[in-house]
Amino acid sequence: MKKKFLSVVLSVAMAATLLVGCGSTSDNSSSDTQTPAAEESTDAAADSTDAAADNKGADPADYKVVMVVKQSDSWFDDMATGIEQLKKDTGLNVSVQVPETGDAASQISIMEDLIAQDVDAICVVPNDPNALVPTIEKAREAGIVVVTHEAPGIADSVDLDVEAFVNETFGELFAEKLATAMGGKGKYAGFVGGLTMETHMAWYDAAVSYLKANYPDMENVAEEPYEDGNSVEGAHDKALEVLKAYPDIAGFFDCSAQGGGICEALQENDLGGTVKVVSLALPSMSATYLKDGSMANGLCWRPADAGYAACYAAYLIASGQGVSDGTDLKATGYESISLDGNVGYGNAPLEFTADNIDDYNF
Amino acid sequence: MTKKIDPFQRMLLIIIVVYSVFVTIKNPGFFQIQTVFDIIKTSSTTMIVAMGLLVVMISGGIDVSFMAIALFGSYTSLYIMIQTGINNLAFAFVVSMAIGIVLGLINAVLISWLKLPPFIITLGTQNLFHGIMTTFISDKSFGSGVLPECLHKFGQGTLFKVATANGSTGLTVSLIPVLIAGLATYFILRKTMIGRGIVAIGNDEESARRAGFNPFKIRLFVYAYSGALAGMMGIVYAAQVNALYPNKMVGDELMVVAAVVIGGTKITGGQGKIFGAVLGVLITYLLNSTLIMIGLSSSWNNLFVGAILVIAVAITSYQERVKNRKHLIFTE
Repeated sequence: MKKKFLSVVLSVAMAATLLVGCGSTSDNSSSDTQTPAAEESTDAAADSTDAAADNKGADPADYKVVMVVKQSDSWFDDMATGIEQLKKDTGLNVSVQVPETGDAASQISIMEDLIAQDVDAICVVPNDPNALVPTIEKAREAGIVVVTHEAPGIADSVDLDVEAFVNETFGELFAEKLATAMGGKGKYAGFVGGLTMETHMAWYDAAVSYLKANYPDMENVAEEPYEDGNSVEGAHDKALEVLKAYPDIAGFFDCSAQGGGICEALQENDLGGTVKVVSLALPSMSATYLKDGSMANGLCWRPADAGYAACYAAYLIASGQGVSDGTDLKATGYESISLDGNVGYGNAPLEFTADNIDDYNF
Repeated sequence: MTKKIDPFQRMLLIIIVVYSVFVTIKNPGFFQIQTVFDIIKTSSTTMIVAMGLLVVMISGGIDVSFMAIALFGSYTSLYIMIQTGINNLAFAFVVSMAIGIVLGLINAVLISWLKLPPFIITLGTQNLFHGIMTTFISDKSFGSGVLPECLHKFGQGTLFKVATANGSTGLTVSLIPVLIAGLATYFILRKTMIGRGIVAIGNDEESARRAGFNPFKIRLFVYAYSGALAGMMGIVYAAQVNALYPNKMVGDELMVVAAVVIGGTKITGGQGKIFGAVLGVLITYLLNSTLIMIGLSSSWNNLFVGAILVIAVAITSYQERVKNRKHLIFTE
């Protein structure tokens, strides 16, 4: 009997860990409970916009902003450091939520939790933007400000989408770097994390059409990009396949930050440096490949700055100060954003080569 | 192994051969030694854990926590190595496998003690182990620059090299752990009393108990063995991708379960062959790694792999039914 009881208790506990595992670690810092009544009268900015400014003032400490990232990896680790910095700089009550798996479902469940907690603003880097729209609408109906990053396609459904740059420009940068590395001729293949990843697809499309227009001697081996599933292993395995299917391939570009997997595959075949690779890159994961020459160029933007800017923008909107053309989001490259509809573009592309890679430590 | 190859495995072999011929016709580039080497390399990690899972499934259990164990073992041991600067491959394997054994024993104790279905227990421990790791050890990712040098050497290592059209290719050293796992499994299942015990409790636990086997001890061994192989696989995986992530592997366990079941292992226990599991893994990898070869675009991936898997399972189970009818066994 005792055993039976114990087994029930333990299985309940185990089921609970399942739920808790994907859940939240919200820190209820007691400091934000004291909302001085005096502030209400002093700040007049609040009533100038449609945002849910309730009756708080502009004090950042009064606003709870949560960033929901795609998954746990060094890219979003860096974004978290930027958000920590924002917290330090402004006192904004901002935190990061990391989904267990890189899919829309886990992001949706985290967002549902946040809606229930009635936070002031949610920032999200969607894994699959369109899948998140119903949840985003639900959040906004509840008076929560929603700011996205890397999702200009659903900008109409959110309060603001923050982009590091115009995606077409970045895609063309990929194309230009690849063309330079390949000497303007030969076959190439493009990778994305997944076909539903909007920014990856935007860069891919821009890069391919740029190459078609400007480098007639370069040929894309496939009509669609290959998916690396946002994993090094995926990039490695797919690169091996492409090498066999198209032995005369001369270049790869990877819009997901997994170019290292392609470089590994090339090195296994003694093709490192012969076949050119241009990839979205994070210094900590790509430095060795840039230095040994198997990766020609790494392209990037600073996730820390993007996270900083997105959360700061969320605060500006939530507090009723709003965001307009030329607003300063306080992060490098986002000093004067250009607003196009609901999308705020910064100008913050980063380019890595073997020479400058050591200057960055994220 | 068996003198006469059973129809189940013959069917799998036929599917592999027919499919390979089909791919070769579509793209002659498939028919070369490099293809074999590449499939050996990319499937090596799955092969290792498939052996552990096979033993668990023969014993009548199931384990869906092995990927979490692999991640826990490899991440922890490599994390220690990064922090302390130890650069020794044996250390990585020993620590990772030891952690695997401990976690496997936890699984076995919970299953025996709570008398709950192993699927529920290991589903729970999968999250539990992963959660403990990310909470108490670390959840940072590490790139190739900071990982121990020996790991990269092992991941890129080859037994011998062959020149290809535009470079060279080699047979991966990862084959060695795969062979060790395969031979150890063969030895345990075929040559030891404990192996007979595993099959016995998989067929009927009560009869096995009356015949003098101790199901608890056997279960301890089985899950510890699965854990040890998972720990080994974790290091091989990290060496191959040459990076350490706190969130990879977990989530891929059902693909391994599918591969082992396709290989003819009974999900209810008591029956299963090493060669069958190997063929099952090969089929799933063959399907996954030939889409580019036959010119299918990425959006076809899941549809195609899913369809072929269902067909493969349907054919093999039909074979099994025909065989059973012949022996006047009516299971349905």
